[in-house]
Amino acid sequence: MSTPSRKRLMRDFKRLQHDPPAGISGAPQDNNIMLWNAVIFGPDDTPWDGGTFKLTLQFTEDYPNKPPTVRFVSKMFHPNIYADGSICLDILQNQWSPIYDVAAILTSIQSLLCDPNPNSPANSEAARMYSENRREYNRRVREIVEQSWTAE
Amino acid sequence: MDTETGGEKERPRDDEIQAFHNQIRAADAEKLEFVGDKEPLSVLEDEYKAGSAVFLAKLQILKENYGSIRRARGDGNCFFRSFMFSYLEHLIVTQDEAEIARVEKSIEICKQTLIDLGHAEFTFEDFLGIFVEQLQSVIQGKETSISLDTLVERCRDQYVSNYVVMFFRFVTSGEIRRRAEFFEPFIQGMSNMSVVQFCRSSVEPMGEESDHVHITALSDALGVPVRVVYLDQSGDINDKPVTVNNHDFIPEGMDTSVDPYVILLYRPGHYDILYRRENPANVEPTILEQKN
Repeated sequence: MSTPSRKRLMRDFKRLQHDPPAGISGAPQDNNIMLWNAVIFGPDDTPWDGGTFKLTLQFTEDYPNKPPTVRFVSKMFHPNIYADGSICLDILQNQWSPIYDVAAILTSIQSLLCDPNPNSPANSEAARMYSENRREYNRRVREIVEQSWTAE
Repeated sequence: MDTETGGEKERPRDDEIQAFHNQIRAADAEKLEFVGDKEPLSVLEDEYKAGSAVFLAKLQILKENYGSIRRARGDGNCFFRSFMFSYLEHLIVTQDEAEIARVEKSIEICKQTLIDLGHAEFTFEDFLGIFVEQLQSVIQGKETSISLDTLVERCRDQYVSNYVVMFFRFVTSGEIRRRAEFFEPFIQGMSNMSVVQFCRSSVEPMGEESDHVHITALSDALGVPVRVVYLDQSGDINDKPVTVNNHDFIPEGMDTSVDPYVILLYRPGHYDILYRRENPANVEPTILEQKN
């Protein structure tokens, strides 16, 4: 059935296929346009460099009026990412706007990796380490990067 | 917000806080339609009977020129919602096809602005389409024509109403970013945000309230003049005659003596639609009442 949200998601998908921003990819699961798998590559020349982080995006029929639920499947260590992989990012919550498409969502998450928001900690250990011991923080990030290659 | 003082464990998650906010807002909002019925201005007198003398004095002045009010739901979208209804209602009453042709050209420019700013067309075209559909249906004598009652219904319909509001938010955001240098000092006067941050946090999301910057941008982008009449506590009733402040937002390049037909009543934190008196002969009794 073609609802406004499904139609919109098809267009989101087309854009992501034809004009993908650097370092991200995403596609709906074979039999379900409302559930997407995505991969974000860690930005070059940062501790995240080389990481391939998997996510899922669950959309509802309210999309694009409501944001999808986005969650990292890969294990993460980041001030704004909860232990269950869910993400604390303004545009995925109260500052959502339909002007964002899937490409824009993934790009925003990618920039969040290197540019955490210390005001809304979702992982207090990561937040503390990020501000107090950057060297150790970076080491933990490198661990996560390595795990991202092997984890299934 | 403070990472140092509040043990993070007790702090509800952001999405939980947001869900709670939404719940409160939804419960509140359902008491009123997105746009209400047209009501005589005297309903405000009842509302403020026990209120401030300045308010009541200003209301009397308002009644000299304005006869009715149509309320918009206080859900943070009231400016955009009031603008939508007031503008479309004006068109349905005047059947001004030249104005529709003009605004459609402005919409094309807005579209190009958004594309130039890097937005994929499909992210806003549905919203744009719904607004254009309403514009085209207000002209009578076509298969798709709608009555004023239907216009009211559509502006109360969640899908149509919110899509048009969202389109206005895109247009407003596009105009602010296109003329960032012009808007920057106003934005920095209110907040520490950059133009882009302001648009992202205070323009593009639904439910974010509007002020001068939003009104200026939308009025300029669509080329529609807007009058805002302020009913607030400013002025002292014992001091000198109380006056009601107006501000006309006149789009760039338009004759400044133009008389706006989109008229909004601003009370602190909220916009409703205001209507001119239909029968100015009624003015006199009001003035007499006031003197008594």
